[in-house]
Amino acid sequence: MENNKLSETTKEEIKQIDSRATSVNLFGRVMHYAGIYAVALMFLLAGIVLQSLGIINNFLTTQNMVNILDAVSMLGIVAVGMAFVTYSGQFADLSVPTTMALTGIVAVQMLQYGFLPAIIAAVLAGLLIGLINAVAIGKYKANPIIWTLAVNYVTLGVIRLVWVNKQIYPDMIAKTQRASDLFDAIYRLRFFNKIALPLILLIILVVFLNFIMKKTKYGMQLKITGSAQKAAKFTGINTEKIIGITFIICALTATLAGLTITSLSRVGAWYNGTGYDFKAVTAIVIGGMTLAGGRGSIIGVLGGVLIIGLMNNIMTLLGVGTFSQDMIRGFIFILVVGINAKSLRSMGRDDA
Amino acid sequence: MSEKEKMKTTFSVTALEMKSVSKQFVGTLAVDRVDFDVRAGEVHALIGENGAGKSTLMKIIAGSFNDYTGDIHMGSSKVDLHTPAQSKKNGIEMIYQELSLALPLSIAENVLVGRLPKKGMFLDKEEIVTETRRCLGMVGLEHLNPMMQIEDISQHEGQLVEIAKALGNNPGILVMDEPTSALSREEVERLFTIIHNLKKNGLAIVYISHHLPEIFEVADRVTVLRDGKKIGTKDIGGVSSSELVQMMVGKSVTEFYSHTSHTQEKKRLRVEGLSRYGFFHDISFSSFEGEILGICGLSGAGRSELARVLVGLDDKDSGKVYLDEQEITLKNMGQAVANGIVYLTENRKTEGLALRLDIKENILAGLIPELTRKGIYQEGDGIQKVNNLIEELSIYPPDSSRIVGNLSGGNQQKVLLAKWMACEPKVMILDDPTRGVDIGAKMTIHQSIERLAEEGNTVILISSDLPELVSLSSRVLIMRKGRIIKEMPKVDCTEESVLLAANGEGA
Amino acid sequence: MPNHYEVWGVTMLKKNINKASLLTFADKNRIYILFNFVFLFMTLLAPRFFNVFNLTTIMRTLAMNATVAIGFTIILIIGQIDFTIGTVVTLSGIIGLGLKEYIGFGGSVPVAILAGGLIGLINGLLVAKAKIVSFIVTLGMMTILQGAIYTFTGGNTISLSSDDAFAVSDWLSNMIFPLVTPRVLITLVLVTAATIFMKKTRTGRNFYMLGGNKHTAWLAGINTDKYTIAAFILSGVMAAIGGVFFAMESAAATLNMGTSSLMYVISATIIGGTAMSGGKGGVFKTFVAIMMLDVLYNGIILFGLGNEVKIFIAGFILASVVLYEAYAIYKHEKIVGQRPELLKELEKVQ
Repeated sequence: MENNKLSETTKEEIKQIDSRATSVNLFGRVMHYAGIYAVALMFLLAGIVLQSLGIINNFLTTQNMVNILDAVSMLGIVAVGMAFVTYSGQFADLSVPTTMALTGIVAVQMLQYGFLPAIIAAVLAGLLIGLINAVAIGKYKANPIIWTLAVNYVTLGVIRLVWVNKQIYPDMIAKTQRASDLFDAIYRLRFFNKIALPLILLIILVVFLNFIMKKTKYGMQLKITGSAQKAAKFTGINTEKIIGITFIICALTATLAGLTITSLSRVGAWYNGTGYDFKAVTAIVIGGMTLAGGRGSIIGVLGGVLIIGLMNNIMTLLGVGTFSQDMIRGFIFILVVGINAKSLRSMGRDDA
Repeated sequence: MSEKEKMKTTFSVTALEMKSVSKQFVGTLAVDRVDFDVRAGEVHALIGENGAGKSTLMKIIAGSFNDYTGDIHMGSSKVDLHTPAQSKKNGIEMIYQELSLALPLSIAENVLVGRLPKKGMFLDKEEIVTETRRCLGMVGLEHLNPMMQIEDISQHEGQLVEIAKALGNNPGILVMDEPTSALSREEVERLFTIIHNLKKNGLAIVYISHHLPEIFEVADRVTVLRDGKKIGTKDIGGVSSSELVQMMVGKSVTEFYSHTSHTQEKKRLRVEGLSRYGFFHDISFSSFEGEILGICGLSGAGRSELARVLVGLDDKDSGKVYLDEQEITLKNMGQAVANGIVYLTENRKTEGLALRLDIKENILAGLIPELTRKGIYQEGDGIQKVNNLIEELSIYPPDSSRIVGNLSGGNQQKVLLAKWMACEPKVMILDDPTRGVDIGAKMTIHQSIERLAEEGNTVILISSDLPELVSLSSRVLIMRKGRIIKEMPKVDCTEESVLLAANGEGA
Repeated sequence: MPNHYEVWGVTMLKKNINKASLLTFADKNRIYILFNFVFLFMTLLAPRFFNVFNLTTIMRTLAMNATVAIGFTIILIIGQIDFTIGTVVTLSGIIGLGLKEYIGFGGSVPVAILAGGLIGLINGLLVAKAKIVSFIVTLGMMTILQGAIYTFTGGNTISLSSDDAFAVSDWLSNMIFPLVTPRVLITLVLVTAATIFMKKTRTGRNFYMLGGNKHTAWLAGINTDKYTIAAFILSGVMAAIGGVFFAMESAAATLNMGTSSLMYVISATIIGGTAMSGGKGGVFKTFVAIMMLDVLYNGIILFGLGNEVKIFIAGFILASVVLYEAYAIYKHEKIVGQRPELLKELEKVQ
């Protein structure tokens, strides 16, 4: 039995292994311990500095902060849902854009029967897409990127076939003023005259989904599935179901975002939601979730969303054009992921 | 030119010599100033526990690292082995323990990778087929169509293709890392014949193995590594098995315990006429409380397939399974775990462990439903259990927050066993629980298996390690080609009798 | 022993066939069968389909995407993905036309193609050397390029109206032999060359080895980084060639000319049988898939149906193929490792 006990030399080795963490670069360490919020704080400070230097105006005002949050709340809703897909090791759900469009247009169409039927119909439509993804990817292990791209395409085809390239307007479809007003309020309802409903929804979602991911049986089994799908299966975890559910969660949050964006634009059309797939991936990955799965958190993703909001806001205040903003965002995206991957590697936690 | 010829004809010429070679990984010195040499025409075995540095040393020879320190000489000149290409150029070939074949590609393209014959600018299809046939012929696979995909051949055929690939390059030095782990006894015999012939042709062979009897069968000299350092090199004639073990672990040990005590009173798991068509047919047996029931068979005999059905990973086609005399039907493995039947897979890295998660998360993976109260997962409740298991199995480092992928193979295997011990199962099916594990870890695992049985649990032990199977099991079922052909009680079990039965002889 | 063998990526049947080998044969030649079916269907039923004028139109329509798809197929074969192809198409068109008045086509076309290669080089370096997943790298690069395109053009279409530009445009769309215009010819030459290169040369096969098992390739002494970078450069160059000649023929480069390319090329490559997992498929199969899709689109329009039907059917075919392949693997995993002699016993009993 004695030979199994630790000798002095082995204790020495443990120390050596511990020393790994010290070889990580500063940024990596900050990312690891303080999380993405340190970066968000940096952007906030940058904004304050720019304001104090007189380069930009009206950055640190309540109104501007509310604007920042408003601007990202829809993206946030999509991202925290899609984060489950990424966390489960299935990269991303690229069917989000047309899920948003379809649920929005279905809601507008059903507004003629009242507000509640419209919402129910939209949720059912979102659920249907989520279920289709769940079966194809969860059960039959279709490649998630290609499959959701295909579903995106099919849904787009359905929308354009059914509504024959038409755009439909809630105020024209709704039979009662009340239904139309309620639908309009999804985006515009404000609490305390400031906080918009989508933001409240986002906060509720973050709290709820973070709880699901970190504190429940499902969340723990999801973590193992995302980290090592086969090992999870051989541990008796129903990986098909676990992965399937992530796509349903994603489709449901996309439905919420779809209703919001349709309420915002006051039109149901096939192009509502365009670009939200890749924007969400950007937020998720900047938020510290790796595509390899099982790593990161919803809180982190929220941080990623906030960073994008702050970045956009500062750039707009600086007078940077919309498209130059794209370039800078793309650049920062690759940079953050690159540094994050490098620091993970140097900590001996390489996964790609 | 003449130098080279001399090398081939004079046997005692040193083919490769390493002087004070070291390799540092982040935080650990995996190989510490090792001197090693191999001569033309000899088999030099390299042994040591897992984590001793054998594989790292061999990877240095194969050109996997560009940052080793120390000198490597071949013939009279110093060589740099910083890339696999440089090693290949110097006539070094390596056969890896884990298959390194490209599954979607053909056998021919795998065997001839990097040297596909050309006619002018284009590939020469006829030459590709002939050359592949020649290489396959060296390992007795001439019946395979070179254009077949690797996906369509079996795992042990894959292992032989791997060997054919290395031999086809006419290497001067051949490094084999556990080449027999996936082979049946007949194939091992064939491989040893091949090795013998290669030796005669002046090839220098480095042979890594955990299996001591094998070393005595093929090796001329043996070098023992421990903790990255070289302990010594011996001629095989002048050393005994126990001396080698002592060199490997640093002290003398007795390897096996003999498990005898169990009562055949209460039937725990009873299987009646169980079939999964095409994999195994008409399997019936009973196992008792407190029993270690061995199942033996060559690879492909249907052992693992049987286990997979017993835990609900695959569906059965016919037959019945009783647990404590109650019939059970399992739809998925989750139900089996809930019923107290668990299965420790033979592929720890792919199917067993979440390598990127830590020890605690891996050990508690099967307990998640039980640790969930009122919808909330209480990890804290499982910590005590984790710490106890780390202590009992002496998992090293004894820190539950270590990433499992950074542990040595033996410790990974202990974590895998701990995962299932944490579930306190009634029936534990172990599939090669000590595969590729060093002697220290093996002993610990055996002790735990014994304890499990003594506490009244049923252990079904599937193993291709015959000494392990024979010494631990109270009965052995012999499987062959998808059927149970024999049940041997403890008294009749010897390594020879079991092996003969598994090969369909004796009886 | 299998009852089929392969010649140039086309699976051939041996003489002794049975049901199982016929199915494998059909599966491996899926795209050829599909193409023939669609082509025959349109020939028989679509009005004004089978005539030189219409078939030439089809060839001209597919020329750009068929060129872009060459590079993308190689990217999938090495097991990576490249989302930048669409933006590279646009960018090359803009550079090719935008620089014309300064350095002429003789200068602007090479610059456009080099730009595509440069973007590929950057992608490749980030994937191979900085070890960032290609999904991320090319996604970020796509955003950057989109921004760049809009910033530099101010959001305007670039169109040429000089006589010499129209002359080039006319020449490129002029039929030199039946169905073939100079631009189509460029595409056909590139597809043929790429097919031979990928199937018949050692370098080409090394791309397959890289995608089939990166570690094996590395151990065999193949410089995996170099091949990865080369694949991304090829992808960029092919997308640029496709884009710049298309823009020259139209004498205009719109800011969304490449937008539909990405989805189109991904669909065709997958439908053609090149797997996301790498090591499988081929350039010629992708080309046939592109022809199949374009014949289908053409037919849909001839039937008087709209764009929406086209989108729906394309999405439906892609989804079916992905699901079919996933299902086939799902089924295969259930029977892999079966012992034939045990199954035979079973047949005897029943």
